[in-house]
Amino acid sequence: MSLLVLMPVLTLLFAAILTPLVTALGKAVGFEKARDLFSIGAFAATLYYVFKLDLLVKASEEGFAVYHLEAYGPPFGVTYFVDSLSVYMAYVYVGVGLMVAVYSLRYMEKDSGLDKYYALLLAMVAGMIGVAFAGDFFNLFIFWETMSLSAYVLVAFRKHRWEPIEASFKYLVMSTFGSLLFLYAMSFLYGITGTLNFEALAQGLQEAGPSTLTMFFLVTMIVCGFGVTASVVPFHTWLPDAHPAAPASISAMLSGVVIKVGVYAIYRVLFVAFTPLVFDFGTVLMLFGILTMTVANIMALLQRDIKRLLAYSSIVNIGYILTGAGIGAYALTHYYSTAPEIALVVAGLAIMGALFHVFNHAVGKGLLFLCSGCFIHEAKTRDLAELEGIGKKMPWTGASFSVGLLTLAGVPPLSGFWSKLFIILAGFNMAKDPFMVGVTIAVVVNSVFAAAYYLWVMQRVMFRKPKTRAEGAREAPGTMVLPIVLLAAACVVVGIWPDLVIQLADSAAHALIGG
Amino acid sequence: MSLETSWYLAAAAILFILGAYCIAVKRNMIKIVIGVEILTSAVHLNFVALGSELSPTLAVEALAQSVVIVSIVIAAAIATLALLLVINAHRHYATLDVRRLRRLRW
Repeated sequence: MSLLVLMPVLTLLFAAILTPLVTALGKAVGFEKARDLFSIGAFAATLYYVFKLDLLVKASEEGFAVYHLEAYGPPFGVTYFVDSLSVYMAYVYVGVGLMVAVYSLRYMEKDSGLDKYYALLLAMVAGMIGVAFAGDFFNLFIFWETMSLSAYVLVAFRKHRWEPIEASFKYLVMSTFGSLLFLYAMSFLYGITGTLNFEALAQGLQEAGPSTLTMFFLVTMIVCGFGVTASVVPFHTWLPDAHPAAPASISAMLSGVVIKVGVYAIYRVLFVAFTPLVFDFGTVLMLFGILTMTVANIMALLQRDIKRLLAYSSIVNIGYILTGAGIGAYALTHYYSTAPEIALVVAGLAIMGALFHVFNHAVGKGLLFLCSGCFIHEAKTRDLAELEGIGKKMPWTGASFSVGLLTLAGVPPLSGFWSKLFIILAGFNMAKDPFMVGVTIAVVVNSVFAAAYYLWVMQRVMFRKPKTRAEGAREAPGTMVLPIVLLAAACVVVGIWPDLVIQLADSAAHALIGG
Repeated sequence: MSLETSWYLAAAAILFILGAYCIAVKRNMIKIVIGVEILTSAVHLNFVALGSELSPTLAVEALAQSVVIVSIVIAAAIATLALLLVINAHRHYATLDVRRLRRLRW
């Protein structure tokens, strides 16, 4: 029971409201960058509060912190529930947000309406953290919509061009359909149990014991609803349009972290409210995961546009993350009764790997989109054929771009290798189960396939002879290179000392499966 | 579950299907936005119907009321934004036909 639980969300929301004011003040005194520095400061302050909250959660005996209004306690009132999983996700969101804010300092300077840009960016991250901290469906829904509404506007930010408008409309319609689908599922859950609080819901569902068919429908509606934002195939079609159409900084945000919010919501709702011991949703998650990575891998190969290729590769990585959770849930459902220790170890390993991959993909894909923003800024084209050899002209950006590609390809000394290894190891720990072996082999095949085209992109961008458009490119300004180099350094450092993140991811995974 | 409530639930389901059909089939961008609004109403109806089922004293239970009121506000924001995008799209193409708009590959 501490107000600190609210601080990360409140800081960002207040900063979002104050941004127009700061802009006006900055204009009055002739210092326009005030709003940029203000939002960077807001992200830094939020990072500090998340850190404090992390300490609070670690220090608490039960491993979580709760906040609710005095008069309206659970199971009816709004609850904020923070455990190590919420804190872990909040770290990722705010970290990438901070890097993006620093990058926007120079990248966005030619655009107009920047006060709105920063206000929306801050509100979007506030919404994401709110989803991570929500202890009930009501809260989750409100923050979810805060995040989505900001994201729609940010995709359409450069509204003088046709592409962002179309992409944003498509994103809006599909994503609203998704959120209404889970609101529909939510209303049924409310009708069955009379509450929207996750903990009370889990109890209520076990007591009410609805039929398998009802539960099947509800799980499907929830996975589909959140799956639209998480871009699970077949609900992914908005993503390859929306992510490239947005400004590069926003693409980094959308691909790096916003789709993870969808995954987080799937994790939280399924593991807490439905509990894998009672309902077998692991199989569904694995099937969706395999389908997602396979389809997106094939589509990624066909792309000529660098940002579309990166967008498809985001979908592939969502596939790994879902499969990781699926393996964990499957192990718990099918083996907890016969071999509880093995089931818990495998589930812990698989979910830890999936959460570690959330971090790696957020950092790696954020890095790649920011680099592609630099390339496009210089060469004025998104065509991969035109961008060949540009890495030679922009050594810092090019080198960081290669690090990003290698980490997502899973090349050993870099961080992406470890997370994939954990997911695959967890799968092979269940070698007696033929279905699990099949799934694991599919993951291995897909990651080798993905590694092949990452290396191909790297070869084109870094080692070919520069073409006319790439010839004139020069290194991006310092404040654009800084976040890129920092993110690349994070990939290398975490690759060499994976323990840094594994500890956080491990406690987050155990908070999810409870023990 | 009383007979009355299940009628409401059935109506909500039919509205939901109608809304989804409208989004999938209609070619006019404004009609697609209307489809989204129909979907929203369907879900709200469902929520309120289940809320009235749960509450013995009040007409509709307080939690369902608050969720629906907040959701109506959000739906208004979404509709506003969607119509803004429609206006911008109309400026680019001078048409509201979604088929003309699909320069984006699937």
